Amino acid sequence: MEGGIVSEAKTESKALQEFVRAAETIVNPEVKKWKDEGGKVVGYFCAAMPVEMITAAGFLPFRVRAAGSTGTELSDAYFGSINCSFPRHAFNMALKGHYDFLDGLVIFNSCDHIRRLYDHWIRRIKTPFVKIISLPRKDEPAQVEWFRSELAILRERMQEHFEVEIADDRLREAIALHNRSRRIQRGLYELRKSDKPPITGAEMLAVTVAGTAMPPELFNRLLGELQHYVSRRRGHSDYRARLMLIGGELDNPEYVKVIEDQGGLVVTDALCFGSRTLWKDVNENTDDPLTALAQYYVADRPSCARMYTKYEKRVDYIRNMIKDFNVDGVIFERLTFCETWGFEQYSLVNDFKKWNIPLLCVDREYTLSAVGQLRTRVQAFVETLKG
Amino acid sequence: MDAKKERSLSRMKEEIAQFEPVLESLRENPGEMGHLQSFAVEDLVGNHKRIIECVEQGKAFLASQYTNPVEILTAMDVPWYFTVQQQFSAGGTGGSPHTIEDLGEMDRLGIPSDCCTLLRLLLYYQVAGLLPIPTAYLALTEPCDAVSGMHAAFMNHPDWRDVPVFVPDPPYHDDVRAFDYYAGEIRRMIDFITRHTGKGLNMGRLKEVVEETNKGYALWLEYSDLRRAVPTPHSYAMPMSCFYLLNTAGAGEPRVTQYYKDIVANAELRIRENRPEVPNQRIRLLWYDIQPMFFSELVPWLEQEWGAVIAMDMVSYCPYELTDTSTEDSLFRGLAKRALLHGPMIHQAHGLVDNVVHDITRIVRDYEIDCVILPGHMGHKDMAASASIARETCRDLGVPSLYIGMDIADKRYTTVDEIKNRISQFFTAMGLGEDRR
Amino acid sequence: MLVGGCDVGSATGKAVIMRDGEIISYEIIPSTTKPEVTARTVMDIALEKAGLSSITELDYIVGTGYGRLKVPFANENISEITCHARGAQWVSPTVRTVVDIGGQDCKVVSLGENGKVLEFVMNDRCAAGTGRFFEAMARVLDCDLQGLSELALQGKNAATISSQCSVFAESEVITLVNEGMNLADIVAGLHASIASRLNSMVRKVGLTEDVVLTGGCAKNDGLAKALQEKLGVTVKKLPIDPQIAGAVGAALIAAERLSKQATKSRA
Repeated sequence: MEGGIVSEAKTESKALQEFVRAAETIVNPEVKKWKDEGGKVVGYFCAAMPVEMITAAGFLPFRVRAAGSTGTELSDAYFGSINCSFPRHAFNMALKGHYDFLDGLVIFNSCDHIRRLYDHWIRRIKTPFVKIISLPRKDEPAQVEWFRSELAILRERMQEHFEVEIADDRLREAIALHNRSRRIQRGLYELRKSDKPPITGAEMLAVTVAGTAMPPELFNRLLGELQHYVSRRRGHSDYRARLMLIGGELDNPEYVKVIEDQGGLVVTDALCFGSRTLWKDVNENTDDPLTALAQYYVADRPSCARMYTKYEKRVDYIRNMIKDFNVDGVIFERLTFCETWGFEQYSLVNDFKKWNIPLLCVDREYTLSAVGQLRTRVQAFVETLKG
Repeated sequence: MDAKKERSLSRMKEEIAQFEPVLESLRENPGEMGHLQSFAVEDLVGNHKRIIECVEQGKAFLASQYTNPVEILTAMDVPWYFTVQQQFSAGGTGGSPHTIEDLGEMDRLGIPSDCCTLLRLLLYYQVAGLLPIPTAYLALTEPCDAVSGMHAAFMNHPDWRDVPVFVPDPPYHDDVRAFDYYAGEIRRMIDFITRHTGKGLNMGRLKEVVEETNKGYALWLEYSDLRRAVPTPHSYAMPMSCFYLLNTAGAGEPRVTQYYKDIVANAELRIRENRPEVPNQRIRLLWYDIQPMFFSELVPWLEQEWGAVIAMDMVSYCPYELTDTSTEDSLFRGLAKRALLHGPMIHQAHGLVDNVVHDITRIVRDYEIDCVILPGHMGHKDMAASASIARETCRDLGVPSLYIGMDIADKRYTTVDEIKNRISQFFTAMGLGEDRR
Repeated sequence: MLVGGCDVGSATGKAVIMRDGEIISYEIIPSTTKPEVTARTVMDIALEKAGLSSITELDYIVGTGYGRLKVPFANENISEITCHARGAQWVSPTVRTVVDIGGQDCKVVSLGENGKVLEFVMNDRCAAGTGRFFEAMARVLDCDLQGLSELALQGKNAATISSQCSVFAESEVITLVNEGMNLADIVAGLHASIASRLNSMVRKVGLTEDVVLTGGCAKNDGLAKALQEKLGVTVKKLPIDPQIAGAVGAALIAAERLSKQATKSRA
């Protein structure tokens, strides 16, 4: 991508360079190397995917995105004009062969649009193993139990199809490995609490997105390097406002950069590819790793708007972040046609007004567009925050 | 009763005032269809009165949605109302005189306008205090994102925050394991209702109620078969009430079963005497979506201008099965299966697109459908993504299809005139409507 | 202290020059395809009108509008939301809601007592309710913008225009014309429909009086009247040309920046 995230760090930190590249592409060099060496890749949609299961099988978990997509001319034949641009672009890339490298795919019944993506995918794309998982919308014990049994079935099917064993001790190792990623990333977030955050919101998103597109051991190593680099870096102090970005599927650091170019610095977030994936750990002291995974992915990790009863908990999560990160204003981004987040927006607008938390709501398409309009709104918003 | 409570009942009271004179005149001059046409409306009015009484006398009552098994509520003798009833029945009753103004007020709430209008309207009614606040309510998170999202927002209203709510969690699969899980949710729902209304569930009574609704469903299946006749016996109001009556507060009462017997009898009579309710039928269409709130502005035109009858539609399509009441387990499993797989929109939206393909194939063949109309309600995002598969299915079946794209709650999105134009051009282009029977 | 504000919009470019808190000159010109050229041209004319020989005589310049990033001589750029609000309120201190109808967008801004922007809502995705829309309608009905306004005021029974989209509304209008409906009623209907949309936008940020119109379309009395009817409150007229409100706001902010700098250097 021309112009990318420009920062002095990019030229000085190899780790950040790798992360940015991984976020800007689908098959980054690490994924290519993995495949070339005979490794298998299992793709997935949605942060609810227990990636530990894929890692425990010895495969590379890869979260499906549509970075670099230039259009939807092929997928338009399958989706309607009122469908979300994310599955449209992802499917378009799949139709063009960009996802031929997947050895398997796990999809959830995340939303109306993604559910139909599953239907179209199995009809048109030759991914050898595709499984749809039923994700609950509540987080009570009965739901955790249900999800555990879904995961048990997934394990069985994967073992059968790929002829591997996904043993409990391998799961335990994978849990520890992925928890480590979460911990180190949390450490990076901590640094952004200061009044001179050494990492921008755009850079952080590149990091978290990259974490879904490379082998976890390598990711952890690079994270360590980045942590080392960033701790010696001069922090940013030339910002006019501290912002928090909230919403659903956002995987494009460029979008965050456009926001940050208007004078505000994104110091934290509640996003699908952001803090929600790393704020809590999976329980490592467990007799049954599958139960621990079910418990984490359904109940313990910060929920997204799809979870029906968890609005208050979500809002508390955001308010705590605002306090801890000294946030001046919140930007809520939503993909057009997303009803899950549309109704959440309504609740948030009413509550934030009550609590006097400045909030800007913007709609967007999956690929970066209408940049001028985004700039105007964000700039006006930041102007209201200063003094 | 305080002003707030009075206001919350105002729409119900208005509907009663709107319908009672019509019912009165139908009672005086029923004609052949009078008692059939009035039944559903009477049922509605009766239920409104029951709820009004509960509010006035401080009695327990619930608000609920259409797939939460109604038989349970009847068996537990808990009065309830269907929160989106007004929007749902508007297609047949002519709708509320307030709709335009309601939509305007709803716009001001600022919910993104690409979200389903039917549900945004419900949030408006809540904000405007036009929904009676129940003792507890049963929410829904299917068939679509909008229902789920709306219910989540619904919980946050200050007046409703303390009202206990239960939502069953629907699994996305359609096997026995999924039914049993959902049956578990239904049992938890029963506990919830007991806790908040003090009313228990007697299994014997539930069995009785389900056996009664089974009779209704069996008759509905029979009725649906009769609609296969060419010409089809009835216009759209009878089929619409089929769905309504088995999903309403009266479900499980013998008088409702009698109603189904009566419409079957009338359909049989009309077929025998070759005297369809709609004369000069030239086009048999499948309306594959729910009915718009302004349906009464479209259907008479379809019937009169084009001789086009709705031989089958999504809401009155009946792929139901009878529930096996022999054991408690089989009963709950059956109710769960119905709630997960059979209800309109649930059947299409919740589940793989295979249901859509199967439906269209069966319906086109069984009902000798000439053309398929996919109204494309703007809130049905999954249907929008299924349209390509639906059209492909139609192509394979050799029937023309038309995708319109409208808002079933808001005429401003695609106006009635625009819809009529699209349909007219479609019929003309496909050579439909020329006398050929 | 001489300051300048330059508002480069899609349809017109505006420049305002202020000396010691007073407007001494302003200019409005149609935009060219290059914002830099529009900015230079309109500023040059404003300078000449003010009797100034060169842009260097201005101590601080703020750019705003759609082309604000391309104003070559601006010291800073500020969003048009902030500028319209500031400009309108400076001219009319009781203003709390600004409805700005520009060439290709429209917005509603609600402000606090001190001119601080509280909330705003924009429609920049479609032409409905913007200058473009009125231009298109004027073409269809074969009259000029002033004529359109007069017709709207004459209409007794405003037609109902149901299309949300301005392109479809155009077809609807043509149909009504062919059906022989009274032109004034059709135009009144168009204005009512736009006013309805604006009303919705106003309600989203909350209606607080006084309400004013800014932007080029503010000069359309028919629209002002229609909006007044929908809002149910008086829409006050700004005592200056409403089209320059943004540039005035920009100039005011320029002045503020200057005095802040002066304070800093004194401290």
